[in-house]
Amino acid sequence: MSFSLATPATPDEAFEFLAQDPEATAILAGGTDLLLDLEEGLVRPRTVVSLRRLPWREIRWNGPRLTIGSLAPLADLEADAGLRRRLPSLAKAIHAVGSLALRHRATLGGNLGRASPASDLIPLLLVLDARLSLVRRGDRRELRLDEFIVGSRRTALAAGELIESVTIPAPLPSEYLWQRVRLANDISQVGVAVARGTTTSAWRIALGGVTPRSVRLPSAEKLLGPGLPAPLAMELAAQEAAQRAPFTTDKRATEAYRRRLVYVLVKRAVAAVAASADALPETPSPSRTAKKSVPAKARSTSAR
Amino acid sequence: MTDREFACTVNGTKVARRDVPDDERLLDTLRWRLGRKGTKEGCRTGDCGACTVLVGGRPTLACLTLSHEVAGESVVTVEGLHDDPVGRRVQEAFERESALQCGYCTPGFLVALTGAIKSHPHGAGERALLEAIGGNLCRCTGYVAIRRAVASLGTSRP
Repeated sequence: MSFSLATPATPDEAFEFLAQDPEATAILAGGTDLLLDLEEGLVRPRTVVSLRRLPWREIRWNGPRLTIGSLAPLADLEADAGLRRRLPSLAKAIHAVGSLALRHRATLGGNLGRASPASDLIPLLLVLDARLSLVRRGDRRELRLDEFIVGSRRTALAAGELIESVTIPAPLPSEYLWQRVRLANDISQVGVAVARGTTTSAWRIALGGVTPRSVRLPSAEKLLGPGLPAPLAMELAAQEAAQRAPFTTDKRATEAYRRRLVYVLVKRAVAAVAASADALPETPSPSRTAKKSVPAKARSTSAR
Repeated sequence: MTDREFACTVNGTKVARRDVPDDERLLDTLRWRLGRKGTKEGCRTGDCGACTVLVGGRPTLACLTLSHEVAGESVVTVEGLHDDPVGRRVQEAFERESALQCGYCTPGFLVALTGAIKSHPHGAGERALLEAIGGNLCRCTGYVAIRRAVASLGTSRP
């Protein structure tokens, strides 16, 4: 590997470097993923543009709306008291990435820009309906995350464009569960994200560790219905998710094991969100009533 | 390649060189240009933690950091820990509990723990400290003694 490194101090400087040789330029955020590819020669850029000196690190709440600078180190996000309180599922998903030393370097923008199908952050950000603010010299656009990730390690980022920030419209009752061999510095075999919209009450399920990219599972979501789901609905949704997920066998897990994991984790995640949603004041009252009629059935199911 | 200057502080000493290539990792600059061989190369892929150093106080994997990225910043390696009361306390805990076998992974553990304690102004509990070394591997599997050393640090204030 042999490249020249640019370390712009401002976005404008960065755009200048990016414009010089766009075909042979790699963007370096935290480097925890790109540097592996550079070392192995999987990418051979002539220029690497490091974003380390750019700003874009703030965590900003505007009412329910959360905006996170793309270059905020993941370690800062998981340590942020407001984020941990208002959106614990995101702190938890971030905590699942690599190790603490790695998270001091790794960034949210880098994780999304590298678009790994095994990302621990993409599934949760999909169910939270995250938007990306993309900037280019004199130009700015917003993309939904599901429009941004177009394939395995492929995004809709245009040449010369950078991710400035990621916005989550509102913190939702949500959960992220994952399975892997080693706790730290390993890659999830499967990741399951579940969220429940507080106004629409619609359930959202997204999976990681799937091929070629993280996906929502509308058919499983529908089976959960609008309110708090009965045990049978959770069972059917978990079965549907396990069946529909586009899994393959690779070095990390077999397809059959992944399906089994999804079945178990979807049930657990939905149950966790249902329990937390029940406690939230914004939850529409019909679902609270629905929950009250459920416990007898729930007990009999879990006893089986 | 450029002949740009690489300037930063390593263990409190200013370092300035013109022979650091753009694509060189901090790990290699520290070991082979600056002679700081306490920082170890284990996996070179960010999986083992042996090359952990502090950059601006943050535990950082030197194998996944380009040297010129840390220009102007402060780097602390295991050689710098004895100048730091927290670093010394961590070293003493490892010594007290014999928390090392071959010693190759030890610098990474010491630096990661020192960084973790210093980043918790209100004190880091045992759980936070174990968390901080979750990415450090000991191929001798000497984890029991390492855990004992961590436990002996108690709730650690910087």
